Amino acid sequence: MKFRTQSAAQTRALAELLAEVLEPGDVVLLGGDLGSGKTTFAQGLAAGLGVDEPVTSPTYTIVQEYEGRLPIAHVDVYRLDRVQEIYDLGFEDFFDGERVTLVEWGDVVARAFPVDHLVVQIVATAVGDERDIVFEFQGRWQARRGRVEELLAGYA
Amino acid sequence: MLLLGIDTATRRIGVVLASENGLLGRVEIGGPEDRARPRHAEALAPAIRYLCGECSVSLRQLSAVAVGIGPGMFTGLRVGVTTAKVLAQTLRVPVIPIPSLDLLAYPLRHSRSLIVPAIDARRHEVYYAIYRPVPGGVQRDSEYELGSPDDLAGEIAARGEETLVCGDGAQRFAASFHDLDRVELAGAAHAAPSLSALAELAIARYEREEFSPPSEVLPMYLRRSDAEIAWQSRSA
Repeated sequence: MKFRTQSAAQTRALAELLAEVLEPGDVVLLGGDLGSGKTTFAQGLAAGLGVDEPVTSPTYTIVQEYEGRLPIAHVDVYRLDRVQEIYDLGFEDFFDGERVTLVEWGDVVARAFPVDHLVVQIVATAVGDERDIVFEFQGRWQARRGRVEELLAGYA
Repeated sequence: MLLLGIDTATRRIGVVLASENGLLGRVEIGGPEDRARPRHAEALAPAIRYLCGECSVSLRQLSAVAVGIGPGMFTGLRVGVTTAKVLAQTLRVPVIPIPSLDLLAYPLRHSRSLIVPAIDARRHEVYYAIYRPVPGGVQRDSEYELGSPDDLAGEIAARGEETLVCGDGAQRFAASFHDLDRVELAGAAHAAPSLSALAELAIARYEREEFSPPSEVLPMYLRRSDAEIAWQSRSA
């Protein structure tokens, strides 16, 4: 499923809309090159979940937690080299409770995360700040295709 | 002898005090149906303090500290094992580590079936092992494993014996076991590693002087990976 945005502000707004379908325990893996807008997307999701503090890239802290309508764990695996480092962070405990887990670069190590997840690929087109936002629904996320398609119809 | 036992391998935080004559008391907080955020780090030390206070036991009187080492919930195990090690080191008493799956199997030793405890490992997986009842206890008849509930169901079906499945993993994924012939679920009373089993097994080991140096006691992690992250997009 593919959407298109014309600016960082639109990417953020799309993500903010998407937040409506998020449920406790959800895992969203964000993919895309450096500068494509993964953190922007995460900021939109956080805003949609009611987080009012600033959301920054957790590249150096690896995990940053926020409180919103649902608690959020914002993760960046960019600095990690081995799958074991992900296990050693104890992420599995995030996936079971109330939290929504957003993982920047998570698409690169999708198998370290639960099978039920959403992959969001953010791809720069050749035109200005335009982005293709591609969703892959894995496992139980497939049941939400229809709702997501409807919610984001304005960006189709 | 006085023993303090801790098991935090599941959502249940468990603390027990026992002597060679039996349990003095125990505290259990949380469980599979408690969907609140697990709070092992916040609740364990106060639970120990409360139990010792109500039983009029001072930590200085302890002869040993026993701990369930999992496999199980990552954060819970870190909190439980670290607390046990720090207490033992400070009090200069031995630590007695016991796998939490053993603590689930032991109370079912009077059954005639295979006993299969399964601890919820998240990510739609369970930690499990297969035990047989033997006189006076249970004997493990498999490795400690990590797999999907369906992997476990397949293994049980392949053995084709009467089987009793217990643990929070069995409860959570009950649907995977319902259709198997000759398989029974042990129910909510057997969802968490048994604290009386922890006391009983640990005191027996204490009497045989089977101790471990605190520095050598580690949580049992079965989720291991040697894989490198396949970075192609990350520039040097």
